[in-house]
Amino acid sequence: MKRLQLQRWSSTVLSPRARTSNRLHQHLCSSSLRHQSTVAAVQESTPELKYRLNNAHKRSANLQYPSPPVNAALDSAKLASLHARLYLPSRLPLQTLARTLVDASADSNVDFNNESLATLGHDLLTYYTSEHLLCTYPRLPLSVVFAAMYAYVGPKTLAAMSKEWGVDLATLPGGEVDPGYLQFKRVPPGTVLDAETEQNGKRKNWRKTVTSKVVYDDEFGDPIKGSSNSSVGVPAELARATSVRALMGAIYLHAGRPAAKLFFEQHFLSRSLNISQLFNFSQPARDLTRLCARENFEKPVAKIISETGRLSRHPVFVVGIFSGQDKLGEGAGASLLEARERAALAALKGWYLYSPLNVRVPSSMEEEGASPWNPAHVDLGEVIS
Amino acid sequence: MPVQGLRTVAAARNGVGAFILQCKRLDFNYCTHGGSSRGMLAFLTQTLPDFARENPQIEIRVAPRHNKHPVIKGQYINGKEKAICVRNMEPGEILKKAMILKDASGDKLKRTKKPVTSLNESVRGIWSPYHGDMRGV
Repeated sequence: MKRLQLQRWSSTVLSPRARTSNRLHQHLCSSSLRHQSTVAAVQESTPELKYRLNNAHKRSANLQYPSPPVNAALDSAKLASLHARLYLPSRLPLQTLARTLVDASADSNVDFNNESLATLGHDLLTYYTSEHLLCTYPRLPLSVVFAAMYAYVGPKTLAAMSKEWGVDLATLPGGEVDPGYLQFKRVPPGTVLDAETEQNGKRKNWRKTVTSKVVYDDEFGDPIKGSSNSSVGVPAELARATSVRALMGAIYLHAGRPAAKLFFEQHFLSRSLNISQLFNFSQPARDLTRLCARENFEKPVAKIISETGRLSRHPVFVVGIFSGQDKLGEGAGASLLEARERAALAALKGWYLYSPLNVRVPSSMEEEGASPWNPAHVDLGEVIS
Repeated sequence: MPVQGLRTVAAARNGVGAFILQCKRLDFNYCTHGGSSRGMLAFLTQTLPDFARENPQIEIRVAPRHNKHPVIKGQYINGKEKAICVRNMEPGEILKKAMILKDASGDKLKRTKKPVTSLNESVRGIWSPYHGDMRGV
């Protein structure tokens, strides 16, 4: 929040003892005996008055800066409480924490904004998340890996985390603002954010395959945008996400790799994500047939396990999909087709969500005294039909 | 397209990894000449420094509020505010009220009807009438 200019009336409102400096107040209080007694206190408290006046001048001197000066971080109660609330390592100084809250749209100077820290933090976050996903669920299709990455470290999740940490937004960035607020330039109302994608309804690229996304796109499978013009302003969600990434980078720089990994595990990996809900199959039965052909299983056959009320209004069929003697999956539905689709879906999810026991990630080898590395399970990949 | 991924946001579970205290800020308001603030003034001078030291996660503001009863206000991460009037209270009682505000989540008080609430589905699963053998009655 941008503060009001306290300079002029801070002496009259904030400090009850400094009232004599205001002529109007003197006039108002001239009839009251009790207020005269406060006038007597003025002479005792001149050091305090001076301190307040000095502070007011300091604040106005900060107006010339686009973001709060470095030494203001030590005086901010908000910043200190945020530091304690997140259990940040004591080696991460308040000044750096203040810097992670200054977006590039607020202060374009790279020495004072969080852009460089965010770049580092983004790389760390995506590295830790992707190795976790690939080692825990080695058979996940790539499109689901993209979705899971987005759910763990996508901008929406990071913005939600920043909210859950209690980071408040500054209405306007500036040097006199409390450094505990997230400072960024807001987008003016009516601005079209996705100007590139909406060019007269024409799409720029027609790449749709997952393979091309691996090569050309970012870690969420989105096309990489050029550097955004931050002088216009950034949405609050993006500013929040950048500040969370910058905090990750700052922890890595100041407290080292183990602290950064611990922070990642405590704040990011501890979130709940049901990966089995990220799948969207269009032809599960066909995919399952292809999968069985690839893995040299017997051809999958759907069989009714039990049924009730076939001629009634609410029939229920329980269908299992069998490959030889092995039941791959089972599903219940109101029609035979629906039950078969569900069974095929269960079978495919059972295959794709395989997770080895005792999962280790490559970055665990960076710990001291780590046991020798056993190769992680590497799968053939998803079924392409 | 064989399979597509659906985008969601991973749900927060406060306390599973790190625990974030939900009380962001405590405002202590007092009056310098009102008698109901006598305990509050003693609390501010004697107890509050220790309280603040023990709870560095909370931003603490002390401000005069003239000719009014003393009040403690808590600001929470969900944006809600809770206020407790502490008129005529002893410092010990005021500390208890501050602890109430500190430990609150900021949500409205709710009656919990189920003994367990969880994001995870039941391990045992739901009973199905279509599986298992028929039991003789």
